[in-house]
Amino acid sequence: MSQLTEPSTAGAQPVALRGPTTLTRWLHGIAPYLFLLPAVVLVGGWLLWPFVRTAYLSLTDYKGIGAPDFVGIDNYTKLVSDPILSDSFRNTILWVIGTLLLPVGIGLLIAVLTFELTGGALYRLPFLLPYAISGTAVGVMWEFMLRSNGALNSMLELIGLEGLTRSWLLRAPVNTWSMIVAATWQGVGVSVLLFLIGLQVIPRDPIEAARLDGADGWRLFRDITFPLLRPMTIVVVGISLVNSLKTFDVIWVMTQGGPARSSETLAVTMYRETFLLFRHGYGSAIAVVLSVIVLGVSWLYLSRTLRST
Amino acid sequence: MRPANLLRHGIMLILGAIWIIPLYFVLINAVTPPAEYRKKELYAPPSSFALGDNISTAWNAAKLGVSVGSTFFYATVGAAAAVLLAAMAAYAIIGLRIRHGFFWFMVLYAGTIFPFQMYLSPLYSNYVRFNLYDKRIGLLLLYTAIAIPFGVFVIRNHFTSIPYELPEAARIDGASSIRIFGQIYSPLSLNAFATVFILQFTWIWNDLLFGLTLSRSADVRPIMTALAGLQGQYASASIPVVLAGALIVSVPTFVLFFAVQRVFVRGLGATTQ
Repeated sequence: MSQLTEPSTAGAQPVALRGPTTLTRWLHGIAPYLFLLPAVVLVGGWLLWPFVRTAYLSLTDYKGIGAPDFVGIDNYTKLVSDPILSDSFRNTILWVIGTLLLPVGIGLLIAVLTFELTGGALYRLPFLLPYAISGTAVGVMWEFMLRSNGALNSMLELIGLEGLTRSWLLRAPVNTWSMIVAATWQGVGVSVLLFLIGLQVIPRDPIEAARLDGADGWRLFRDITFPLLRPMTIVVVGISLVNSLKTFDVIWVMTQGGPARSSETLAVTMYRETFLLFRHGYGSAIAVVLSVIVLGVSWLYLSRTLRST
Repeated sequence: MRPANLLRHGIMLILGAIWIIPLYFVLINAVTPPAEYRKKELYAPPSSFALGDNISTAWNAAKLGVSVGSTFFYATVGAAAAVLLAAMAAYAIIGLRIRHGFFWFMVLYAGTIFPFQMYLSPLYSNYVRFNLYDKRIGLLLLYTAIAIPFGVFVIRNHFTSIPYELPEAARIDGASSIRIFGQIYSPLSLNAFATVFILQFTWIWNDLLFGLTLSRSADVRPIMTALAGLQGQYASASIPVVLAGALIVSVPTFVLFFAVQRVFVRGLGATTQ
């Protein structure tokens, strides 16, 4: 942020040495705007204007055609009592909790276990491979793993655990947890990489000192390493939190939010309401709620963690 | 070996095996001839190797090949255009010290903050109205626009590290704004440009949501949308073809990721997009 405090020379544009005609001076004046314009047109027209428009449509009954009729906060009051939405809320919360427990937790475990371990890079490879695969491809692969006649059930039968086989994607809330596992399989590599960077930059002395005092294993981790990792933990948790709220691809490919809309999250519900049920106004209200949650969570999280460090 | 380390090796071997097993199942069944798929156990290797056939079915019959071409166009041209436009905007803000530079930066950066669901409905309506729906140029413009905010963020940061004396001296020698952009700022920022290009190429390549929303025909829709369509259409008929499709569309990002892993890690630190 240091550049914000630099002395402003905005008013003192460089002097045109050759031919200080009105034309060149005018060109000098507008040059910055010419450089800025294309980016502003694209971002303004494709992102900012749609943003404002969505906020407005959330107060209408727009159906995708015809003129939107203003209905005030009707969509929002409907949203509170809609049973589909309460399922969707519940699943969104499951995604947030699951993402914080699984990819973040397992990522931390793997980073700590393989840090400075002989062959550590090789051990980490299986977790990095899935990260290079898109959410859509991961969804395709895991739909095959978890379908009722899929690979997981076939494996469970092979090792004599027929009792554990089930329809992983057909019942709530098991289907949401199953998809969280799929997302974990893909996403854990990022946490591993980030925690590893964190481990590389924490100071050595406190750890060595604690070792000399006889601290080892779990106690060393709990009392020394984990507190020192705090800055990176904040980053990883923040990224995971926001990403889990936005999850769409894996769910869309694996269940399309079904069966009977039982595994939708807010991101998926918004898409279905808008583009499959043509309730653009209602879908826009869901988009607004999702945005408020994302912004609120980021703000709460940042302000709390920044205050306490 | 200390017992603590033995335990670490043990846990890592188990966890690693758990992560490899799905890949094993996917690979084994992606190379299975569709006719044999129904007859064998899923964990058993097939009696003959049909990866080539499965890929060519996905590529031709299911038209993944067409989408690979279009998506390559969106990802390369979109990411490159975003780098250029983002660099120009960052230059206006940092190099030319435009008035209210921070305000303009926030205007551009605001594009990364909200969930994409905030853009979808008006984009769709406008695309239909202005005849951009299901057009290559429509998707290209969207991908360029959505890649700009992150680009401005990274490139602006980099431009602030270039000492202001350099362009100042060139300006006194009579160099034009365009020359200073092209011959001072840009050559000093190739690393930042490459970072943005690689990350945004990957992002565009992997997009599903905008492809679903703004396109329909096989000629236009991007690759992940085509893969999702292939899965919906073939899932019951021919799982090996779908799995082979999922593998083949992952190749470019896979190669890119392992070639320049450092770029991806750097990108993670810079944004939560």
